Amino acid sequence: MGGSDITAPIPAARLRLQRRLSRALFLLPIIFMLVFFALPLALTVVWSVFERTMFWMKPGFTLFAYENFFFSARLENFLSSMMHSSVSVVVSFVLGFPIAVFVRRRIPQVAQHRVILLFILPFMVSEIIRIFALRPVLQRTGLVNTVLLELGVISEPITAILYTPMGVIIGEVMSFLPFIVFAGFLAMEAVPKYIFEICDDLGAPRHRVFLDVILPLAAPGIFAGGVFIFVNGLGVALLPNILGGPGAVNAGLIATQAISALDFPLAMAVSAIMMATLLGLLYLGHRLFDLTRILSPIN
Amino acid sequence: MGDDYTRLWTYRLKWLYTLLVVFTLMLPVFYVIYISFNQNGFGARDYVFTLEWYGDIFSDLLLMNALGNTMLLAAITMLAAVPLGLIAASFYKATEAKLLTVTLLLSPLFVPADILGSALLVFFKNLNIACATVGEWLGISWFDTWFELGYFSALVGLIIYTIPYIFVVILITMGRYKEQQSEAARSCGATAWQAFYQVEFPQIRAGVFSACAFTLILTFNEYTRTSLLKGGYDTITSVLISQMLNEGMSEQSYAMSSLISFIAIAVIGSIILYTLVHTDRLDREARAKAQPLMST
Repeated sequence: MGGSDITAPIPAARLRLQRRLSRALFLLPIIFMLVFFALPLALTVVWSVFERTMFWMKPGFTLFAYENFFFSARLENFLSSMMHSSVSVVVSFVLGFPIAVFVRRRIPQVAQHRVILLFILPFMVSEIIRIFALRPVLQRTGLVNTVLLELGVISEPITAILYTPMGVIIGEVMSFLPFIVFAGFLAMEAVPKYIFEICDDLGAPRHRVFLDVILPLAAPGIFAGGVFIFVNGLGVALLPNILGGPGAVNAGLIATQAISALDFPLAMAVSAIMMATLLGLLYLGHRLFDLTRILSPIN
Repeated sequence: MGDDYTRLWTYRLKWLYTLLVVFTLMLPVFYVIYISFNQNGFGARDYVFTLEWYGDIFSDLLLMNALGNTMLLAAITMLAAVPLGLIAASFYKATEAKLLTVTLLLSPLFVPADILGSALLVFFKNLNIACATVGEWLGISWFDTWFELGYFSALVGLIIYTIPYIFVVILITMGRYKEQQSEAARSCGATAWQAFYQVEFPQIRAGVFSACAFTLILTFNEYTRTSLLKGGYDTITSVLISQMLNEGMSEQSYAMSSLISFIAIAVIGSIILYTLVHTDRLDREARAKAQPLMST
């Protein structure tokens, strides 16, 4: 790329070819995502009604996989993992969202991003390590119990934390809390600082500021963060697999177990159900709060 | 009301809370690192400092082999995904169909790892069967193995996983770039590529580099998608998981976990430090330039 080709005339045919090539290049990411992301996920619906064979599946139409899901303990597991996920969303919101409000409201503009950057640090440690590391912390002889025993708060170790739904919820909160901080931080972009000053001038009580001003303005971002945590709580198989007890099974675990049992239609049915849940939630959120408002900071 | 000076202590408490949350999120990792240096392992009464367990890792051939595979995969993913994300971000700025583009590029965030992994696994198996059938029908066999599970399928899964992050990071840095500069370059006779590489790229370089680091770490750490799509070879996380599940937490797995965390913390920590120093310097330069204007 020397300075000489700036002035060199380019033949028209080559120019046309260049333009066509660059347009194709421009579309490359979109085509990639359509072929390898949207298409496989859409096709899960088709594959879920295929017939199961010994090691694979063959084209056909049967609702056996759905029957297998809805009329067994799987549905119960799925519903209870939805419950645990919802609890995690609420806990993460209560613990994490005040941080986003605090940073937006009290920290000078230039320093805000740096504080948020701190929350990237735990996210950068491998998920499997963060989840596994909770075992030595929460175990019977683990860190939490040892410290509490030393301090004399408890007289015998708590065993009800690990390998129970409680363990799964703690794992979900520890894994996904940074996301509600990020989402809340982006959402608070919709709440300009002067609004707080106006509220202060008018003497609005704190809970009214939160309920009537912050929540409605930041709702789309909070909703997106909540859906993220909810769906990942349902879909990340490692969490119940490592922290939950025998009964702790979520959609992700059902799917991966079906794959190792070579029951591909069942795995695809679970994926299709998960995608339907996700799309349903996003549609609901969009109807309620207009989710396109989240994107204003990057436009 | 609500003044930082009248309520200094609530302000300090809120800061304390924020730092406490970050610390709590990191605590299990710190604890694992602490255990990994103990000769007696987890739960022992006496703490004897040792590097023995780290020595074991480096003499484990299976593990070194897996480390090589993981690094290769991370490097390839970075080389493929970051340009894709860069093109996607430029496309987003130029296109009319913004909502559709952004939905397509960000929605992988909302699809859990196991679900995407399973869907892609079945997709690739079907593609493979289709290729074999078509090949048989045409009497050629050279594309029979294109879509077998292996580096390529793992690469696809990892690109889809990392592209939303790359897209957002680059788009945020592009937000500060004024499109008129490219137009000026074009009207001075630069080609589109020159306008991009010589005018725009230097200004978004920081974003591209942090996207690269991000991709490397995410790929290095990723387990679920890779393990579903990788086919036969080992990666560092798959070795770690099988070790943990088969033998429980052994001393060696503590050391391995700490080592992987060290790498990630070191890379991200240096990026955070660099950004802090760099933005400080930019601030100071900007202020220095503004000084004479302000004094007159």
